[in-house]
Amino acid sequence: MRSFLILSLKEIKDTFFSKTALLFLVLVSLIIGYGFFSAVGLYSEQSMAAVNNLLYARGFEPVPGVFGPTYGGLFVLFSLFLPFVIIQLVSLEKGQNTFSILTQLPFSFKDILTAKIIASFLFLLFVLMLSLPCIILWRLYGGHIPLNELILLISGYLLYGMFVVSVSFFSASLFDSTANASIFSIFLIISSWVIDFGSNMNMSQALSSISAWTVTKVLKYFENGILSFTAVMYFVLVCSTFFVLTYILLRFDLKGKWRSISSTVILSLLAMFILSHIALNIDVTESHRNSFPANISRALKKVPNLEIDIYMEKGDSRFKDYQRSFLKKLSLVKNDVKVKMMTGDELKKSYGLFVYKVNGKSEKTYSNSEQEIFPIIFGLAGISVGHGSEKTNFPGYPLVVKGKLSVIRYTYYLLIPFGMILAFVAKEIKLRRRFKK
Amino acid sequence: MKIKNITKRYFRTVALDKVSFEVSGDAITGIIGPNGAGKSTLLDIITGFQNPDEGEIYFNDRPLMAFKEKKKVLSYMPEHLEIYPDYYVDDFIRFIHRVTRYVDTDLIEVLNLAKVKNKKIRYLSKGYHQRLKLFFALSNTKKIVVLDEPFDGFDPIQLIEILEFIRAENRKGRTFILSIHQIYDAEKICNHYVLLNEGKVLTRGSMQTLKQTFGDESSSLEQIFMRAIQ
Repeated sequence: MRSFLILSLKEIKDTFFSKTALLFLVLVSLIIGYGFFSAVGLYSEQSMAAVNNLLYARGFEPVPGVFGPTYGGLFVLFSLFLPFVIIQLVSLEKGQNTFSILTQLPFSFKDILTAKIIASFLFLLFVLMLSLPCIILWRLYGGHIPLNELILLISGYLLYGMFVVSVSFFSASLFDSTANASIFSIFLIISSWVIDFGSNMNMSQALSSISAWTVTKVLKYFENGILSFTAVMYFVLVCSTFFVLTYILLRFDLKGKWRSISSTVILSLLAMFILSHIALNIDVTESHRNSFPANISRALKKVPNLEIDIYMEKGDSRFKDYQRSFLKKLSLVKNDVKVKMMTGDELKKSYGLFVYKVNGKSEKTYSNSEQEIFPIIFGLAGISVGHGSEKTNFPGYPLVVKGKLSVIRYTYYLLIPFGMILAFVAKEIKLRRRFKK
Repeated sequence: MKIKNITKRYFRTVALDKVSFEVSGDAITGIIGPNGAGKSTLLDIITGFQNPDEGEIYFNDRPLMAFKEKKKVLSYMPEHLEIYPDYYVDDFIRFIHRVTRYVDTDLIEVLNLAKVKNKKIRYLSKGYHQRLKLFFALSNTKKIVVLDEPFDGFDPIQLIEILEFIRAENRKGRTFILSIHQIYDAEKICNHYVLLNEGKVLTRGSMQTLKQTFGDESSSLEQIFMRAIQ
């Protein structure tokens, strides 16, 4: 245990005090600062019209309005720059052959990799902690903080960061050169964007199916305030898979590596398949913007064997609207609904139709509006909707911030970057002085 | 230690072809051969950093194949090793001491590392970097020490000091296996030789045995090696 702590400390120092890490942290500060500054400015401007309008005010939520855009910059930084910080933790050891030192000391491969993962995790925590002044400033401005939603958002980025870490480790274990590993790592991460782009452009059916499982899509759960067991487990599974593959590739003493690698991949795909059939989602937003009203949700839960046949292309804007405003909310209430996208001649014959089936009875409609859909479903099921809070009591949190935004600039453009540069220089000077004595 | 029929192939190239020899406990064994003879591959396999395609290794008549077991008895200094360039020498020494809980002040003195302790490793001369590598390989009580090209970069005076230290460690009961391509250096320190060429053992044994097989009383190791190749 003592040796492992010494090793972990070494890894933490290696991660935090590299020049790449310093550059990354300075970039993080600038991006978070810019994101927060812009978001607060825009939120404040739009709030002016909402302050005295209760109905309009309901549309103002701090997470999608302010914190979402603030952390949004981190997504790009994690995707494109974090690999350069992380890859060197493995590739330098490989290139300099210092693994031969660590492995001869009383450390197993598992210890070495675990220490590197812990160091990377702490680095990510530190990166996310740089957003703490944003939260404090927002509070000081008089802003509301929806804690659950904010924690979920930050957790999402932490998990996404760990995904990038795992991909970086895998790439570094696969390639001998840092440059190749970096390119491969960014290729893997960006391919997720390409799949999403292809899916959005309705390029192929296969892309659309795969895109449901890209990291960017899964991250959306966290950004939209949905605590999804599937999304959390997805990240855990993907990260674990890449870490296990890294472990296998780094072990120079292992025989039959390809067998171990293929078993790991097959097991992970199997676990992913099982996971895709589990839908445990909770809407943690204060406005419940991802859910139907409580009385509707209660009634929907009682509807048995609901099937929906959709005669529409996935790229159709009406379908996208239907998916966003109805299907996604429905999936939070019922995970056993069978949705079938019709194809071929059937699709052409009845384009635009929605067919709802409950226990053998069916009814058709061309409407994608909730007002039309619910009476059809409940009518087929013979269920009456109970009374309840149709509307949420969410008041909305508009906020007009006047003339205090320069604090954000000073904090994120000067104070934090220079603080970090000073800390780095001070550490170097301190070390030199220590050795001169 | 017994090395039996070790074979290693890289696709169609045979790097080691049924290499077999024995290393006695009190020996300083030199693996001698030109560049590309398979010396480093052999040492990597002996120490567990590579797996052989065929063959076995025995220690005290027991199979010694798993890296986990090997690292308990073997200490290895690979030829290609660039110790953390951004670390200070003192930091690296302290890290090794803290992890192994083994401090040998004589070793630091002999290797003269105190002189460079305030330097970053990247700024060390090749000789001092080599000393630091030796420090790592010898900073333990493991029975067998395997050194790949340990004398590269040493000046003659440094070399005398290091050779004397290795002899002293050998007298204390440590076994040394050294890979050396400079035949003159090998002759100064080794008392047992394995001549390797193109992945095959040409001959092995003490200097006396080699002389009997490939030369006469006045033959040098270089002459013996040349004759063995021919």
